[in-house]
Amino acid sequence: MGLSDMVPDRFKVAYPKLQSFRQPNIVTTTADFVFSWARSNSVFPFTYGLACCAIEMMSAGFARWDVARFGMEVFRPTPRQCDLMIVSGTVNEKMAPVLKRLYDQMAEPKWVISMGACATSGGPFYDGYNVVNGVDKVVPVDVYIPGCPPRPEALFQGLLELQGKIAAYSFTPVLPGARPVKEG
Amino acid sequence: MSGVGLEVGTLKVTMDEIAADLARDFAGDLEDVRIQEPDTIVARLAREKLKDVARRLKAHEDLAYETLNFVAAVDLGAQLESVYHVYSWRTNTWIELHVPVPRAKAEVDTVTDVWPAADWHEREAWDMMGIRYLGHPDLRRILLKDDFVGHPLRKDYVDLAENHPHV
Repeated sequence: MGLSDMVPDRFKVAYPKLQSFRQPNIVTTTADFVFSWARSNSVFPFTYGLACCAIEMMSAGFARWDVARFGMEVFRPTPRQCDLMIVSGTVNEKMAPVLKRLYDQMAEPKWVISMGACATSGGPFYDGYNVVNGVDKVVPVDVYIPGCPPRPEALFQGLLELQGKIAAYSFTPVLPGARPVKEG
Repeated sequence: MSGVGLEVGTLKVTMDEIAADLARDFAGDLEDVRIQEPDTIVARLAREKLKDVARRLKAHEDLAYETLNFVAAVDLGAQLESVYHVYSWRTNTWIELHVPVPRAKAEVDTVTDVWPAADWHEREAWDMMGIRYLGHPDLRRILLKDDFVGHPLRKDYVDLAENHPHV
């Protein structure tokens, strides 16, 4: 007996398909879809603030913008518990080997977002004597977010782009001669 | 000699009196002693006399310049300059010591044994401007990476490819 059984009949709405879920049932789907769906909706970002972009990243985590709406609120201070590195700020030559090492310590599968002009290209410090002209010289980048710094909304757009990218990713090896599976 | 933490400005003196004291007690050492701001005296100093003058400034009976605020380095083109900002709790005033350093042989005695606060500041001046502080306990780069080539805040610095291994 569920809550719906206590509702008078005249208020009940008929959902024939949902009615069948009240019995033990079977759902068919692909492993790719399930894993991608789960991974894209529980991204663990790495707390890696380098400059003023990190202030916007922190704003995105708090109540006014609230990145938790997309399942990404669990910022972790250790690379071993993360699968997304948001490079938010200027990467300099002294920091670059440290960044590479932290990226290597993250568990697969892992993604990188280059947030802001500095991380993307060096930005206003392009000619600097100690600045890496883009974090993609050190680690592979999945999504670039322009701006100086980008607003939290821009960060969200980048995160949603990344979610789409993760959702489209196939985790299962394609066997030779196998037909591609279409989502129903 | 009093310790750090005594009441600020216990010695009621005017800037003119401080300048007169400096001119009397450091005659022949400090040059161009002048009052630059209401609470700051600026003086020039030969680098050979730096450590001796620093000791005497700190141990001075009335003025007691005990606290080093920071060490700066300036590139004036023809020469470099190492600048020491020192504070006196007793008179609540500052003194700015400008020490000219020749470009070709950029070396000055360290003042870390007089004012220990100079340690990291001298490392930064070495890192950015290439002034070598003789007798410094640990003169390494402090901000840039260890294998950085050159001293980037010098006006004649040219950026080198060796400093950008990722490009």
